[in-house]
Amino acid sequence: MMFREVDFGEFRLTEYKYFRMKEPAYALLAMPDTGLVGVIGANHLIKVLNLEEVGGVDSYVYLPPIAVISKKEIRLPIRIFASDNLLVVYSEFMPPPQAFPTLSKVLLDYFERKGVSHVLMASGLAVQNRFELDQLKTYYITTKPEVEEVLKGVGAQPFENGFLVGPYALMLKEALRAEMPVTLVMTESFLEFPDPEASAKNLEALSKVIGITVDVKELIERAEAIRMRARDAMKAVMPSLTRMRKEYEYSMPLNI
Amino acid sequence: MSTDEFERFWRRIKEIERRILESFREEEERILKELEEIRKALMPSWSYEGYLRPLYTMRDLGSEYVLYIDLPNADQGSIDIKFKGNTILIRAKLRTKHKFSEWSGQGGETVFTEYRDVITLPFNIDPNCVSLRQRKGMIELRIRKPKRA
Repeated sequence: MMFREVDFGEFRLTEYKYFRMKEPAYALLAMPDTGLVGVIGANHLIKVLNLEEVGGVDSYVYLPPIAVISKKEIRLPIRIFASDNLLVVYSEFMPPPQAFPTLSKVLLDYFERKGVSHVLMASGLAVQNRFELDQLKTYYITTKPEVEEVLKGVGAQPFENGFLVGPYALMLKEALRAEMPVTLVMTESFLEFPDPEASAKNLEALSKVIGITVDVKELIERAEAIRMRARDAMKAVMPSLTRMRKEYEYSMPLNI
Repeated sequence: MSTDEFERFWRRIKEIERRILESFREEEERILKELEEIRKALMPSWSYEGYLRPLYTMRDLGSEYVLYIDLPNADQGSIDIKFKGNTILIRAKLRTKHKFSEWSGQGGETVFTEYRDVITLPFNIDPNCVSLRQRKGMIELRIRKPKRA
């Protein structure tokens, strides 16, 4: 069952089998964040692309003592799925903020070793008037200028000023230090409620960057069923979002 | 001390009293909010009796509270909201019944037929001071705070 294990600080990365990535290889990181936008989108992507679970990350110090049971198999809390040229790192559990720096390094190191040339991250961007909104805007932050045209082509706009709070903020900073191309795609969403509509919009933009076609119709059609099912995951992540002062993203920056 | 001086002094005392009471009220609201968060976190989101607890969020906008309650797959016509003292009682039938076993290996034969929950606010609610909107399986309740004496 286990092919390889690597310890990195308090984290252990496990691969269940040997696999290689084709170039250009992409990694998508989906952590439970605003509106579970990234997690819901990644879940859909794993399903429609029929990605294989190839590994996982665990920490007995930083993650809750949880084993994920999926299709009768025992899996790790942070799960890794893969296709030929796409790695999806997916977690429904939010590690505490003090674990973010090490986790960012673990993941970036792993992506580099797997030959990933572009790290993508999916998130919601909390907007206070989400209840009224029908047209959701998508924003991006990237260190890879050539993807800007692709993202603008799907109506995404650059996120010019503001604050980011949470694991993606740390990943962006660490990726910048490691000189790794990284793009964060954020779609307007609820903060406290699962938002499959935002996930669909977000995934449309991400799939263009990766160069794949992903049908997001099911996310829209089954939005209410997904919202029902994602209640527990959302409820579990809210205390972490509150503790890390996620509402700071609402603040107006003084910087220019 | 002249009458004017005494009145100024008395007004200052009353102002200090008002500020102290205000800070007590704010602290009480903060503690109640934290207790509510703990209660929500510890409470399972479903019951063997066949109901789901909806996700909700509450914002204090100064003169009013805004509550958003997520009721996906609820039959809009069956949404029943009652106010009793400082509590809101919510019930809504699901459009389609769901077995817990569809979502997980546990839960036995539990079948969910409705949403049910009780939400507590830090003040008594006057039903005449509540407005309601529904959109895409979500409810927005705007509840005006009572005027303080």
